[in-house]
Amino acid sequence: MGFVLLAVPVVAVVLFLLIRSKKLQYAISVSASTIIMIAAALLTRDVMLFGVVEYSALGGVFYIDSLSILVLDIVVIIGLMTSIYSVGYLEEELKHGKLDPGRIRIYYVLMYSFIFTMMLALTVKNMGIMWIAIEATTLASTFLVGFYNGKDSIEAAWKYIIICSVGIAIALLGITFLQLSSIDVLKGSQFLDWTALYNHAAALNSSTLRFAFIFIVIGFGTKAGLAPMHTWLPDAHSQAPSPISALLSGVLLNCAMYGIIRTIAIVNRSLGSSVFTGRIMITFGILSILTAAIFILTQKDYKRLLAYSSIEHMGIIAVAIGIFTPLSVFGALLHMINHSFTKSMLFLSSGNILQKYDTKEISKIKGMLKILPVTGTVFLLGLFAIAGTPPFGVFSSEFVIITAIFQKNIFWIGILIAVVLAVIFAGIAHTMFKMFYGTNTSAEITAGEINIPGVIAIVVLFVLITVTGLFIPNPLKELIEKAGNIIIGGQV
Amino acid sequence: MSDYLDVLSVLILLSSFILMANKRTKSHIRTFRIQAAMIALAAGIMGIDSLYKEGQFDLLVVCAVIIAIKVIYIPHLLKKVDANVEYKVEKDFFLNIPILIIGCCFIVVFTYFSISTSEGINAGTLNMRVVNSVSLILIGLFFMISRKKAIGQIVGFLVIENGIFVTAMFATQGMPFIVDMGMFIDLLSAVMILGIMVFKINEKFKSVDINKLKNLRG
Amino acid sequence: MINVVYAVIQIVVLVLAAPLVNGIIKKVKALTQKRKGAPLFQMYYDLFKMCKKTVVVSDVSSWILKVTPYIVFSTAVAAGLLVPVTTLIQPGWFTGDIIIVVAIFALGRFFMMLAALDTASTFGGMGSSREAMISSLIEPSILVTLFTIGLTAKSTALFPIMNFMKSTGTPLIHPVYIIAFITFFIIIITETSRIPVDDPSTHLELTMVHEAMLLEYSGRNLALMELGAAIKQLVFITLLVNIFIPLDQLIGVAGIAAVAISLGIYLIKVVCVSIIIAVIEVSTVKLRLFSIPNLAALSFILSFLGFLQYFVFGR
Repeated sequence: MGFVLLAVPVVAVVLFLLIRSKKLQYAISVSASTIIMIAAALLTRDVMLFGVVEYSALGGVFYIDSLSILVLDIVVIIGLMTSIYSVGYLEEELKHGKLDPGRIRIYYVLMYSFIFTMMLALTVKNMGIMWIAIEATTLASTFLVGFYNGKDSIEAAWKYIIICSVGIAIALLGITFLQLSSIDVLKGSQFLDWTALYNHAAALNSSTLRFAFIFIVIGFGTKAGLAPMHTWLPDAHSQAPSPISALLSGVLLNCAMYGIIRTIAIVNRSLGSSVFTGRIMITFGILSILTAAIFILTQKDYKRLLAYSSIEHMGIIAVAIGIFTPLSVFGALLHMINHSFTKSMLFLSSGNILQKYDTKEISKIKGMLKILPVTGTVFLLGLFAIAGTPPFGVFSSEFVIITAIFQKNIFWIGILIAVVLAVIFAGIAHTMFKMFYGTNTSAEITAGEINIPGVIAIVVLFVLITVTGLFIPNPLKELIEKAGNIIIGGQV
Repeated sequence: MSDYLDVLSVLILLSSFILMANKRTKSHIRTFRIQAAMIALAAGIMGIDSLYKEGQFDLLVVCAVIIAIKVIYIPHLLKKVDANVEYKVEKDFFLNIPILIIGCCFIVVFTYFSISTSEGINAGTLNMRVVNSVSLILIGLFFMISRKKAIGQIVGFLVIENGIFVTAMFATQGMPFIVDMGMFIDLLSAVMILGIMVFKINEKFKSVDINKLKNLRG
Repeated sequence: MINVVYAVIQIVVLVLAAPLVNGIIKKVKALTQKRKGAPLFQMYYDLFKMCKKTVVVSDVSSWILKVTPYIVFSTAVAAGLLVPVTTLIQPGWFTGDIIIVVAIFALGRFFMMLAALDTASTFGGMGSSREAMISSLIEPSILVTLFTIGLTAKSTALFPIMNFMKSTGTPLIHPVYIIAFITFFIIIITETSRIPVDDPSTHLELTMVHEAMLLEYSGRNLALMELGAAIKQLVFITLLVNIFIPLDQLIGVAGIAAVAISLGIYLIKVVCVSIIIAVIEVSTVKLRLFSIPNLAALSFILSFLGFLQYFVFGR
């Protein structure tokens, strides 16, 4: 089953290279993501039954446990929604003459390579191969960020590849130190094997492990958008085409955070207490939340605002991982799920808005509820959701996290986060709500929804986040708890 | 043999200083080539040694791959990019060269003091080789942020990767083979993509001065 | 008594071999440019020619101009007595060490700079100021390099250093010495005014540094200055060669034959290094004057790096 999962994108890429007909390409894209989704669903069932799924190919490199399958499911669901959305989006772009038909092929080839590399990062247990896959995601997505070939896109793509490559190189240094710390403990074939490192964690050299952790957090944190390494994120996420922004924001940040979480599991097990990693993660998390808050208040471009909101939510996840109690880890994983769905929904809707109004500036958009009724409503409610309003999913996960912070008696962090979240809500409300009311004075913009498949995808995501906000189904709850157990492993 | 490796690690560090002191892009590429050749030599020496002791080919294959990619192909790519790009930026760096070189010296001293105060990496000569390699990484980073031309940033990134590879080699006798190969393929694709990006920057902005990429702020 | 003989032999070898180095460098440069070039012993003929001419001195100059050629020549010869030509000949100056060698050369250079200013010609002043800048920039590098070597040999006297290096087998395969070797090469190029620091064969006064200071000399004075510069160059090459490649004896030969053979090996080493210097001269261009601080900074930091490696390696 795992092979189907990983082989389908590769086959899809090959097919895209060969086939030139546009309609056939749309069909391949949607069917490929559907097959991936079915494979992932079957894998999830396997993991829930057996706990761990391992394959012995290539020396036992593939390994899927509850944590991997959780993040993988997010990837797959958002991938399916994005590919449904892309069909309508690309049609609109062709209609407006912003793209040549040949570019669609490049778009799909790169997108499926991107999805393949992300899935590869989540299904291996060798940290080295995980690193290679995460580096490959940067390479696969650079041209997607610079897809429109304008001055701003190229600047964003250059910043993206340079900053992320340097960050990933620093992460490689961390992985080298990780291997160095295990040099007397493990044999050659077991180097950088996550399960081996986890089982022998107590015997690893602790000072080298600290160095390794710092470098890995800085390195993967660059990819995850933690401040102060976040400078590429607003540019890249706002300049990319909207479905790609949804993938970048909703999925890629999670993959990078997954790498950090795997390392934290080893380090905390080895050091015996979570104080060292906790301090570092909380510092980065709070820095990210504060940075996001400051920049959200002064934004003029709605896609950049959404990007800064991603930074903020990644900061919240980092703080939750830093606290490292069972409840906070549960909250962090739940937050990953909710944030991904909400953010991708918002980015996909913003794609519709961009295509309708042809501008990225907030001040130029008026009367969205009349012109794009469904998208507008979903966008408005999505903004409420991302700012942490009940009854949506983000509220419940943030609530869990703040409860965990107060449970651990670190009051000042909890109060700080609550205050900053309120500030962010005010900022978003003040900036964005102008877009919804008023009348649109420009004559070229006709009322009516475009991109019908996209609207369907957006509404499906919206339903999902409402459902997870109201109640969490039991299988999901068990899966998250199991994943949390893998991370904490009995340590508190 | 460990004498030769010590000398090579010092020479690699020395080549990074020479890289810092150069003013022209062609010299950067040439110095990078010499550095990659010395790293390949070190990998080759360690590979022959491991062949005698344990009968493993890994490091020798890695040495051959380094020669093919970093000594031959990547400088060739960079030279092609360099030749097709107009030159309007004369002064390539923000501070003058003696200050940059003194900065590199501070980096080496700083690396020495931070690594020597942590147990676990201390083991006599292993210590100095690791200090040399880690300072190579930091000097590469410093090089990257002190240059204005896009190609300078690419060379800085390549020096960082060189440094990480040398650290892995000296500290842990090399990473697992698949990881090394994956690293090289990644590096190659990264350089190709960066080269294409430099072309696009040159087309749109009519220069490769990174300072001109200032539109997206805030 | 034997010390005096040794001293005389050393002085004779140095003074006679010095113009040969210049001749070899010029010949190699000419051959790489596909010319035949001047004969190898051209500088000897030139020195003879200059000695036969009359000395013309500007009448606004003072005693410094008359005294300087003798000072320059004698400091060069005095430094030549301190450096080890072979380990078998010790002219008795066992207290001579690195600091005295550097200081003696500094004395000669000081008088040369003053004398160039003495004639009140603009080119002389220009040469003096440039020489002052370049030599003050390269001085720290010389001292740090030589001190690092002294630290490893546990003495700053040059004969013990050469003996110590002989006892370490292959001295170049060592992290500290390889850096000191490279730095010393840069120092030789700077101190002896070779390309890329200064072009010794230029005739354009605005590009001169060392030559500009020699413009006002004639006859015997000019011969002494040129010979002094050549001996200084040979002394630096001797330092390089005998500290870093100290093998100078064949096994199983003793007595006068051993001394002769070791002098011969020394001369072969000097010839090889001069060929390398000539190749460097041919393949690079002269640096702009204000790019010379870059080279000096690089040289100083490299020598400091060598010191740091010694400090950590500890051997």
